Order: sequence, then structure tokens, then C-alpha cells
Amino acid sequence: MSTVDTDTIAAVATAPGRGGVGIVRVSGPLTPKIANALTGRKLPPRSAVYCGFRDGEGAALDRGIAIHFEAPNSLTGEDVLELQAHGGPVVLDMLLGRVLSLGARRADPGEFTQRAFVNGKLDLAQAEAVLDLVNSATRQAARGAVRSLSGEFSKHVHAIAHEVLELRVFCEGAIDFPDEDIDFLSESDVGERLASARKRLSKLRARARQGALLKDGLNVVIAGAPNVGKSSLLNRLSGEDRAIVTSVPGTTRDTLDADFDLDGMPVRVVDTAGLRDTGDAVETEGINRAHRAMAAADVVLWVVDDREAGGSPGGDACTGAATIIVRNKADLSGRRPGSISPGAVRICALTGEGVDALATEIKQAAGYRAGEGIFTARARHLDALAAADTALAAAAERLVANYGELVAEDLRDAHDHLGAIVGRVSADDLLGEIFASFCIGK
Amino acid sequence: MTLHSETYDVIVIGGGHAGTEAALAAARTGASTLLLTQSIETLGQMSCNPAIGGIGKSHLVREIDALGGAMALATDAAGIQFRTLNASKGPAVRATRAQADRTLYRKAIRHMLEAQENLAIFQQSVVDIEIRKGRVEGVLTAVGLEFSAPAVVLTTGTFLGGRIHIGLSNHAGGRAGDPASNALAERLRALPFAVDRLKTGTPPRIAGDTVDFDRLKPQWGDEPCPVMSFMSDGSEHPRQVPCHIAATNAETHRIIRDGLDRSPMFAGEIEGVGPRYCPSIEDKVVRFADRASHQVFVEPEGLDTNELYPNGISTSLPFEVQFALVRSMEGFERARITRPGYAIEYDFFDPRGLEPSLETKAVSGLYFAGQINGTTGYEEAAAQGLLAGLNAARKVAGSAPWTPGRHEAYLGVLVDDLVTLGTNEPYRMFSSRAEYRLRLRQDNADLRLTPVARELGLVDASRWRRFEAKRATIERAAAALKATRLTPGSDLCARLEARCGETVAKETNLFDFLKRPGVTAADLRAAGAVAADIPAVALEQVEVQAKYDGYIRRQDREIAKLKAQEAVMLPAELDYESIEGLSNELKEKLSLAKPRTLARASRIPGITPAALSLLLIHAKRLTGERGKAVRPEDRAPAREAAPAGERAARRSA
Ligand SMILES: Cc1cc2nc3c(=O)[nH]c(=O)nc-3n(C[C@H](O)[C@H](O)[C@H](O)COP(=O)(O)OP(=O)(O)OC[C@H]3O[C@@H](n4cnc5c(N)ncnc54)[C@H](O)[C@@H]3O)c2cc1C
Ligand SMILES: Nc1nc2c(ncn2[C@@H]2O[C@H](COP(=O)(O)OP(=O)(O)OP(=O)(O)O)[C@@H](O)[C@H]2O)c(=O)[nH]1
Ligand SMILES: [Mg+2]
Repeated sequence: MSTVDTDTIAAVATAPGRGGVGIVRVSGPLTPKIANALTGRKLPPRSAVYCGFRDGEGAALDRGIAIHFEAPNSLTGEDVLELQAHGGPVVLDMLLGRVLSLGARRADPGEFTQRAFVNGKLDLAQAEAVLDLVNSATRQAARGAVRSLSGEFSKHVHAIAHEVLELRVFCEGAIDFPDEDIDFLSESDVGERLASARKRLSKLRARARQGALLKDGLNVVIAGAPNVGKSSLLNRLSGEDRAIVTSVPGTTRDTLDADFDLDGMPVRVVDTAGLRDTGDAVETEGINRAHRAMAAADVVLWVVDDREAGGSPGGDACTGAATIIVRNKADLSGRRPGSISPGAVRICALTGEGVDALATEIKQAAGYRAGEGIFTARARHLDALAAADTALAAAAERLVANYGELVAEDLRDAHDHLGAIVGRVSADDLLGEIFASFCIGK
Repeated sequence: MTLHSETYDVIVIGGGHAGTEAALAAARTGASTLLLTQSIETLGQMSCNPAIGGIGKSHLVREIDALGGAMALATDAAGIQFRTLNASKGPAVRATRAQADRTLYRKAIRHMLEAQENLAIFQQSVVDIEIRKGRVEGVLTAVGLEFSAPAVVLTTGTFLGGRIHIGLSNHAGGRAGDPASNALAERLRALPFAVDRLKTGTPPRIAGDTVDFDRLKPQWGDEPCPVMSFMSDGSEHPRQVPCHIAATNAETHRIIRDGLDRSPMFAGEIEGVGPRYCPSIEDKVVRFADRASHQVFVEPEGLDTNELYPNGISTSLPFEVQFALVRSMEGFERARITRPGYAIEYDFFDPRGLEPSLETKAVSGLYFAGQINGTTGYEEAAAQGLLAGLNAARKVAGSAPWTPGRHEAYLGVLVDDLVTLGTNEPYRMFSSRAEYRLRLRQDNADLRLTPVARELGLVDASRWRRFEAKRATIERAAAALKATRLTPGSDLCARLEARCGETVAKETNLFDFLKRPGVTAADLRAAGAVAADIPAVALEQVEVQAKYDGYIRRQDREIAKLKAQEAVMLPAELDYESIEGLSNELKEKLSLAKPRTLARASRIPGITPAALSLLLIHAKRLTGERGKAVRPEDRAPAREAAPAGERAARRSA
């Protein structure tokens, strides 16, 4: 078997939502071991077994169906475990967490599909489709990464990575240049610096866990011409009387947002000023803001009046985000509310008819494709921070025992994990840093 | 018209550190080999510093030794001061450094060359390499002699287009006292290789009888005296002498600053890039202006000469400035310079044009090794030479090439870095380049490489017997420790707890107990926990294994991943420019490097997991067959070489 990676990967394979069954999928060599630990039994291949899923202490997390597909007769060509659970997103998260604690790692975007391809589970004709998938999954992951990396979070990760780099400069310098008349270790006080980096990292993790820095949730922006019913839709989606609604075109001036929960998926919905040419300075500014909001959107709801022809946003209103055409005021056009085609729905914001169909469209557009959507970026960042933390703790322990080369090894590990978020530093870059910091060489 | 012609399996051009190891390795595997060099007197000549080893470098020397090479043995025969570096740190980063007597070193190398079966040595400068239809056929020498061979290893060091600078005057030269190889350089520039310039420098040498040693700090070698080779026990060493430590001062720095306008580096006369870690003294004074003093190691050049090598003041300033700066140092007030320091610029070939076997991609059968690949240092050169010589011989014998992986040897790291990343300064080995350095220790170079060296035909029976015996004792020691139970409350347990200040809460074994930071193998011995017949070397080896156990297992997982990626070949015809989704910068780097495997691609700076996925998918599309990439194992046939005698018999004159 020729895979690129020997890791065992896992992800929630269904769109999050309270209703129905959620699936966690696991693929890779550790799968049988994980299945065993989780279900407490040896699963017969390819049969659905109804059983309990246990946590580390043996207590039940949930009950559900487990199916073990043996390599190579599986989706990916590797050993695959499918766990179907009843619980909502919280339980699924716990289940995934348990699988990760048993040695799997979170799947990268498109990774299941990629493994399937590598292992000959997809034929050559499907290669194009796979390329598209990887391309789009990485674009989405990049969007996700940019979103969770924006501003403060990335600043903090960079700062910690830099502290670790400096530590490595001292430790590697001491190892590679023992004959220099520089005392790398005491000059730098590695212990203190290490403690400081750890403190910063655990603070950052705590804040990130509370969600203070990493906004997750889908960013949905409502846009369209004036008076088509955008503010009415915001109120309808959020279930609050949040925005002013009047029959005067140009009512909404500033952008306005509301948070709501779409079947367990956190969503931030943004109402914007209606787009049109205007001489009004305040309205012009509002329209500029609307464009900016659209540029940052994951999903744009392009609202049009159902009585009018046409639909798709044009010109400036085109963004890279997924776009759903929302044909509003179905009561006035007399047409039936509901799904029209993929990416287009008809609703009545006044009565709420068709909004369910819109919700389904939003979930689709959010890119939940077998756990490969944009939200994994945030989770992966948190995993990376946790791994870096563990490595720094090990470094501190080794420092006390005075094992310089093991401290260096743990620091390399920590640096690699942080590098997974903000970019890795090569051995040559590290050496460059050493030569820039110290006068080395004879 | 050809005056004379001979045919060999392998021809090696150049008798430096790369060339001698290449010739020896090829001949060891049974190939009839010819070593052509400018001068037999300079075989094994150290162009610069009279020292072998150091961090990262002694690792290479031990690997050369484990592969049956000459460098470690020659160092043991010529070393006049030996030290263990990083002795207070862990075993993975410990290294050995030896000061060598130049004359003894040359003698040792020459002796091994002359004693080697299947090897002929001939003194001639090569002026042309004959190539037909993309294959090498032989070489032509300065006086018109022709030598044919299906494999040629080029190891001409700093000699190609060499230009020596002292102050603002410069002249052609391969190193002080030797002519440059300009005809050959011209010829090579016309071939499809990417040529660029690098520079390096050397300090002035000083007459020892003009130095006041009483005012310098002596530095003696270590006791007991370390050895380089697995086969040595220290009895090979000649008389040991000390080095001395001197220092520059404010006056030295003033003299240097005043002379900068006549420095070829600062005046822009030199276009080649020098190494960051081996700066000239003028570089150090300028870049670290706040330093009041720089250390200078005063190293003896040999036992029967009083010439000294002042390590730390490499310079290309004009001679009068060199003279003044030397005399400004304490203890050097009356010092006389015997040879001026200089900088040298030379041609090197972008090593990304090489296969991991060190065969050039452009010319079949032509191998490059040593300084011409952009490296610096005797050890780096020798290691490459051995590999190139071996692979040249294997090619002629119809066997698959062999190159160790990054997880197997520093040699693997060296070659992989060169062929994947190229270099824009003289490349020197450092332990921080080896991500798996906890496994790649100098103490286990033999365990890592001698078994495969034996299969490759590089190792003789006596070394093999000794190696097998050592390996068996280590295995026995490890098994004994693992089998000895440590039960809380037992006598043995109480003794060990008292000795190490540890507590044993639940039953364990000695091997696991040894993993604890506070426990040493010596403790086990002192507490009577190990049998007396387990030798110290074996016990030490087991101690290292225990201490690094968890880390090594983590690295093993990384290595498994690496191997999986190594198994995915990227077809040579892959057109990176046309891959949508790769950044332009990456496209350029990939097109230059043309990585052979996904693993190599993964080490190109700036590559992302997503980009790797794209490469993988495009590669798979190209290879056509569904889900089946060509794996190196499929290509690599058996490692057996033809019997030595039979191949030697094919040699014709
Ligand atoms: C001035 C100077 C300073 C240096 N400074 C350092 C330093 O600070 N640190 C460090 O680590 N290393 C230094 N080195 C580098 C070190 O000397 C080399 O890395 C090492 O010797 C390279 O080995 P090699 O076998 O590749 O080439 P070399 O040792 O240069 O050997 C080349 C051989 O090829 C032969 N040859 C050349 N042309 C021909 C031809 N046309 N036909 C036949 N034979 C030919 C030569 O006679 C010679 O035997 C320095 C070298 C020089 C010259
Ligand atoms: N009949 C009917 N009227 C609607 C519907 N949706 C909105 N309206 C009415 O259309 C008018 C404009 O609604 P808004 O929600 O303010 O429209 P808007 O797009 O936010 O307008 P601007 O903020 O001015 O750009 C109001 O009078 C709403 O009551 C609908 O589905 N049916
Ligand atoms: Mg409005």
C-alpha cells in the first residue's frame, strides 16, 4: 500500500446538526486498536454492531452503531471505522476527542478522499474531480485559517514561536559551537525564557478555548438591492426584532449583525445597506461597508424581489464566497416558497415560509463535506497549541535534568507544532539566526 | 592522435579527500580503478586547517569508518591532539576532534592507497572529459594520454577556475602552491551544468620559534585519548602535543579596520559567496564591532615542523596588514609569518543537478564529489567521495545505487540537503541539520552502517568479525538488563535506591530503571546489578538506548511517515509550471530541484501539505496506472556486487 502518510486520521463526517445521526470516521493503521478501546470488543468486519462508546475511564459516552471496514475493502483503502452516534454536536465532539486521544489526528481538508485516490479506490477519470476537491478544500481551509488567524491570535502565536526560536538559537548554538568563547546557556537564562514562553502559551490556550480569540461559526452576509427584504430576513433568521424594517428604500445604513444557532452550527449573520448608486454620503459609506462585509463572508445571501427577473449578483457584488440566491416576497409573486435549485431558494420573509429550505442551503454552502470544511482549521490550531504546550513542558523537565540535547529536541518539536500554524523554520534558517546573533567561526 | 590508452571500470579525478575515498571505495568493491591527480606528493593534502572532526564532522568521519573508509584510520595515525567535544552533554551530540600532523596524514593516506588492491595511481592533470551521447567514456590528460572508463568521479576541489586573492592583487591557483585547473574548468562550463562561484579563506602561517608560548594558555588533549576509528585502540597515535589559545585585542581590530579599504571582499573584488560560519577576521571585526576580542586557537601543523596554524584569523587583507595584525596579539610581538593568508574563489556546480547517488543528471556515468558540489571541509568531501566511488563502481557492475536516508546517516542528510535544496554558501555539516540526530550518534555509526557496508562489499572480514562480536555483546547486555527484575523491597532494589536517590514503587526491570534521568550505567555496575563479564562499551551503548528510548520511538513514527513519502516517486516529466494551485515561487523551486520523491519535495522551503497533495495527485495521474506509483524498492535490485576477482580480471591495459 502506498500512502503518503501513515497517520491515522479522524473527522466528523456529517454536517453538524441536532437532528438525526452523526458520523465520526476514522481511517488508518491504528483503527482496529481504536475500535477495540472504544467499544470494548473486537468488531467483526463489515457488520453494523450496536454498542456503547466508552471514554478513557470506561464510562459510556453514547450508544450507537460501529462498523469496521478492513483494508483494503473500504472507502479509503485503509482500515476504516465508522461510528454512528445519536448525540448532538457536543457528543460528537467528545467522541472525536476520544478517538484523537487514542492516537488518531484530525484529518486535513480533503484527506479521506485523497487517501482513497492514492489507494486506487477512485479511478483515473475521477482524478480531475479530486484535484478540484483538494483545490477547493485547501482554499476553504485557507479561508478558515485566515479567519481564525486574524489579528490578535496570530500575533500571539508568532510571539511564542519567536520566543521558542530564540531558545533554540541558544540551545543549538551551545551544542554545535562548544568551542566558542560564548556561554550560550547562562547568558540567555534558558530556564526563565522557557517558563515565560510556557506561561504565554497556556494563557493563549485558555483564551482560545473560551473562544475569545478564535471566532468560529459561519459568517453569513445578507446583501442585495434596497427594499428587497434583507432586514426582514435578518430578523427572521435570528428570531429577534433586530433590524429596522420600513417600506422606505435605503432604510439600513450601517452593517448590523446577529448571532444564531443553525442546528448546532454557530452562525453570525450580517445585514447590510441595499446596494445602489446614490449621492448620499452616509448611504455611500454604508454601501462601502456592505462590500467589505461581502468580501469577508463565507456565504452571501443575495436577496432579490421574486417579482423581478434576473438573480445573480453582478459586478462589484461578486465575491469569492459561496452565494445563495434568495428570492423573497413569494406571497406577492404568488409562487411556492421552497428550494428552487442548488444555490437558489424562494422564501417569504414576512411569514417565514421557505426559511427551512434556506437553512439547508446555508449548511451545504458552508462546505461541510465529510468533516473537511472550514472549521477544522480552528480545531487543528488548537491541537497544535496543545501539542506545543506538551513539548515545552517536556523541555522544562529535561532542562532540570540537564539533558541539553533532549531539551533541544523538545524545543524543535514545539517549534514544529507552532510552525504548523504560522509557518515552519528550516534548519538552515535556524543556523542563519545563530550566525546573526553570535560571532561564530574560526 | 592518441599516444597511449588504458581502460578501467572507474576513473577518479583528484587526489584530495573526496578523490582518495572515492578511489578506495570503488576499488574495495572490486572495480578496477584509476586515480588521476595533479601530484602524487599532495595525495590526502589538507589544504587548510590541520584538523579532522568536530561537531557533525566527526559523525561523518565515523560513518566513513563504518563504511570501511580511510579518514578515521589516517587520523588515528596522524593525530597529535585529540579532544571529545560536548563531553558534558549527551552522547548524541558528543564529537571527536583531532589535530593532525599534515605529513603523517598524507603518509597514512598514501600508504592505504598504495596497499589497495585493484587501484592504480597516476600523476597527470586531466584537461578533458570525453562524453558521447550523454554518457561519459573517459578522460584526456594534459600530455595527451587517454583513459577510458564507463564511470568517472570528478573531485577537483577548489581547483576549477581557482583564483587566489591577497589584498587587491590576485592570481590563478588551485590552492597555495598548486596550479588551478583552468582547461578542465573551461570544458565543464561548456557542459549543461549550472556553475557558480564560492569563496573560502585561510590564515597566515607562523613560525613557532617566534611565538612566546609562555604567555598563551595551553590546551592539552583529553585523557584517556579518544580514537576516531572503530578499529583503533589509541596505540596508533603518535606523540601528543598541546594547542594554545591566543586572542585579538583592540589594537588588532584597529589595524584591521584601517586595512579594510584594501580588502578584496570589502572592495568588491570577490564575487563568490563565503561561509557565514567561517568568517574572515575582517568580517568578524566589522559584523560584531562590539566584541573587544576574538579567540584564536594556535594549532601545531605537525610534530617535526614548528609552523603554526592560527585558527580564527583567516584573512585576505594585504600582507603588510596581516603582518601587523599578527604582531599586535599578545605573545606574537616578534612573530614571523611563513606563508600569507589568502582567500580563494572557485567554480562549483549546483548540486541540484545530481542524483542522490552523486551521479550527474546530465551525463550518465559522471559523478561529482567534494568541494565542487558546494561543500566545504575534508569530512564532507571524504564522505561524498566514498559514496560517489561506491556508486560509480555499482553502476559499472550493473547494481542499483545506494544512498543512506536522512534517518540513517549524516551522510544521508548531507546528500539530501545538497541535491534537494542546493546551497548558496559553502555547505558545512552541523548537528542541527540532522533532525534525527538522537539516532545518528558517533557511538553507533558502526551499528547503523557496517551491516549494509558489508553487503555492499565495502568492509573486509577482519572489521566484520570485530563488529559482529561488539554487536553481540551489546545485544547480550541489553537482554540481560531487560531480564533483570527490580522488585520493591528486594536487596538489589534497596541498594540501587540508596545509590541513585530513586524510589521504585512497582516492579520494573533494569533497562526501564536506567531510563530515569538520575540513573547511570555506572550506578548499576557499582550496585552489583550487572554481570562482570558485560564490557563497559556494551553497557554504555545500552545506557544510550535507554536514555533516548522515548524520543527515538517518537522519531521512528516520523521516519515511518518519511518512508511512506519516499515510496512515492515523482516522475521526471512532471511539469510544475502547469500545476494550478502552486505558488510561482514553489513552481520555480520545484522545477529547479526536480525532486525524485514526495519526501524530497516535502523538504523544499515553503511547501505546504496542500501543495504536496497536488504533487501527489499529478504524479499519480502521470504514472497512469490506477493507484500504483513506482516505488524505489521496485527499482532497486539485489545489492550483490560481482565477485572482486572476476571484475578485477576484466581490467585491460
Ligand atoms: C584556502 C582554503 C581555505 C579553506 N578553508 C577551509 C575552512 O576554513 N574550513 C573547512 O572546513 N574547509 C576549508 N577548506 C576546504 C577544504 O580544504 C576542502 O573542503 C577539502 O579539501 C575538499 O576536498 P576535495 O577532495 O573536494 O578537494 P581538494 O582537497 O581541494 O582536492 C582536489 C584534488 O584534485 C586535484 N586536481 C585538481 N584539478 C585536477 C585535474 N585537472 N586533474 C587531476 N587532478 C586534479 C588536486 O591536485 C587535489 O588533489 C579550505 C580550502 C582552501 C583551499
Ligand atoms: N409582502 C412582503 N413584504 C415584505 C417581505 N419581506 C419584506 N417585505 C417588506 O418590504 C419592505 C422592505 O423591507 P426591508 O426588510 O426593510 O428591506 P431591506 O432590503 O432591508 O431594505 P433597505 O434596508 O432599504 O435596503 C418592508 O416594508 C417589508 O415589510 C415579504 O416577504 N413579503
Ligand atoms: Mg434594511
